[in-house]
Amino acid sequence: MKKVSFDPRTKMLLLVLCVLSTMFAPSLIYELVLVCLIAILCLIAGKYWYATKGVVIYGIIYGITQLSVYQMTGIWQSIFVAFMGLVNKVYPCGFLAGFMISTTKIGEFMAAFGRMHMPKQFMIPFAVMLRYLPVVREDWQYIKDAMRMRDIAPSLKNTFLHPVEIVECLYVPLMMAAANTADELSMASVTRGIENPNPRTCLSKIQFSWKDILVSVVFLGYFVSGVLLERGII
Amino acid sequence: MIEFKQVSFAYNGVGEGKVEDLNFQIQTGECVVFTGESGCGKTTITRLLNGLIPDFFSGKLEGQILVNQEDIGQWELYEIAQKVGSVFQNPKTQFFNTDTDGEIAFGLENMGMAEEKMARRVKQTAETLQIESLLERNIFTLSGGEKQKIAFASVYAMNPEIYLLDEPSSNLDTEAIEELKKHIQILKKQGKTIIIAEHRLYYLGDVADRIFLMEKGEIRHVFSREEFQKMGEKVQKKLGLRALEYQTPVFKEEEKRNCAADLKVCNLSIGYNKAPVLSNINFSARKGDIVAIVGHNGVGKSTFSRTLCGLLKPLGGEVYWKGKKRTEKERLKVSYMVMQDVNYQLFADSVEHECGFGIKNPNLDQIEETLKKLGLYEYKNRHPNTLSGGQKQRVAVAVSMICKKDILIFDEPTSGLDYKSMCGVAKLLKDLANMGKVIFVVTHDFELMELACNRCLRLGEE
Repeated sequence: MKKVSFDPRTKMLLLVLCVLSTMFAPSLIYELVLVCLIAILCLIAGKYWYATKGVVIYGIIYGITQLSVYQMTGIWQSIFVAFMGLVNKVYPCGFLAGFMISTTKIGEFMAAFGRMHMPKQFMIPFAVMLRYLPVVREDWQYIKDAMRMRDIAPSLKNTFLHPVEIVECLYVPLMMAAANTADELSMASVTRGIENPNPRTCLSKIQFSWKDILVSVVFLGYFVSGVLLERGII
Repeated sequence: MIEFKQVSFAYNGVGEGKVEDLNFQIQTGECVVFTGESGCGKTTITRLLNGLIPDFFSGKLEGQILVNQEDIGQWELYEIAQKVGSVFQNPKTQFFNTDTDGEIAFGLENMGMAEEKMARRVKQTAETLQIESLLERNIFTLSGGEKQKIAFASVYAMNPEIYLLDEPSSNLDTEAIEELKKHIQILKKQGKTIIIAEHRLYYLGDVADRIFLMEKGEIRHVFSREEFQKMGEKVQKKLGLRALEYQTPVFKEEEKRNCAADLKVCNLSIGYNKAPVLSNINFSARKGDIVAIVGHNGVGKSTFSRTLCGLLKPLGGEVYWKGKKRTEKERLKVSYMVMQDVNYQLFADSVEHECGFGIKNPNLDQIEETLKKLGLYEYKNRHPNTLSGGQKQRVAVAVSMICKKDILIFDEPTSGLDYKSMCGVAKLLKDLANMGKVIFVVTHDFELMELACNRCLRLGEE
């Protein structure tokens, strides 16, 4: 099947609708269907593995939530129900945001912001942040190696036994690396004219199509039905 | 034409890298190299020209810099960007996009070039620089040399009049440097002005028109190409410069190896997630050996180092240490890697604490002795991050000595180092070898190999 790509603005709209939907979510089943909707979106875009993983993990969360509501009693129930309630609200948004970031090039984001007339003061830091995410993963790999060579592996056991050391080990080099990376990234981008006030163009064309309208309508419809259900109108 | 008129600059708070009363002219179409010890101010000159000084680095700036008779102090950074293109030394942090096409087009997008014209320009750039095979790739999957090519292409696409290259070769292997040289020659043919700040000089001998030797922020001497080529090794070493010509390193070793090998690797195959990167690696080493590990960018040198240390499980084969087969965990106890970016492995708030970090009852006498041996004792209360790169490297070495590690792996310990610092690293390696350690050095630096290594392990070649 041919992979379908969506306009970055559509993805941002979907994310907003997703946040609103979880805010008004009338029931747990509603959240489950929302997660499935997002998974279908991922499948259409060709992210098969991500979609599967997302649904399976939510399945587990769903199971635990059900257990805590119906099987637990007393204080444990209140702790778990409150906590799982929060997880249920956040999970669909995180799932969709992950999809958005992994399928959108930084150039596309910037072009989309440009079309929406976002100020550069917002656009540039946002783009730098997106660019920095994969760097964190690389840095983390190096730091983990360095810790293991000093016999302070970031394992579960060590994290419980020496939490202070582990945190220190992580944040000192990570901050150092982050400061350097941020400086060098900014130098590389300002010397190529990122601060140019003229409207920015984009190599990868971004354009709305009927697919964008279709998914937007589906998500909007789902949100509206959620609100109506919650108010008891339907 | 570029003209510096009585230009002085000092960074706020630090003495290093300042320049004083610079007066010189660079003609259009000239290729000029600035060289000298670390901190001599050669990078400062590139920053003065691309506008990073004073907009990005603050300090005290005097004098005037003219490009085609216009004072660039009056220009905005993005205006300078269209006339002056900059390539930096670290390929990891130079790209902004995650896809190669987008990256090459980045500067053009900022200029607001129309889409069709931009697509054509990207294609044309890739053709001229012969990097078509790198198009439509994820930049995170490229090797350091390939990333550097994309960074170069991105600047080339903007078609500036002046190119600034700040130590462009420091992360490249010999072949990638050859290609960089070809790219510089393309620019020369187009009549562009090229300014290079660099330690490595051997690849520039027949492209540079003039070589400016800097010392403590001043221009000490200007060589013409002829003078430079005739300089000879003696003068070069006296001036503290890196080699002027490529020499294939000679390894002194193979003076009868008695078979008592301390470290033996048999049929090792390495890789990630069951995909082999290299297989059938066999070699042995003794205490006191300094083994150079060489191979192209991306051949698997770091995979090999990580496997040897015990950080990564091999796909097959065995590693013996002192006659016994060792697991990853056991190897991790006796081996240590000094990383290229040593910042990743310094954790504590002072040099002394760093040495005892993670040890239950650190032996303070031993720490003191080790620090003295490495010339770090006077810095024992300093924060590791306030030290120079070479000193940080030695702190990491001190840690390895205190943890009683016997197998040491250095990852590119001399990238971006001048002659004097490189000699310092060579001496350090030899001292460690004399203490009875087995040392591996992942490196492209033929001068370091010549000075320090007694053996060589080539990866990726039969």
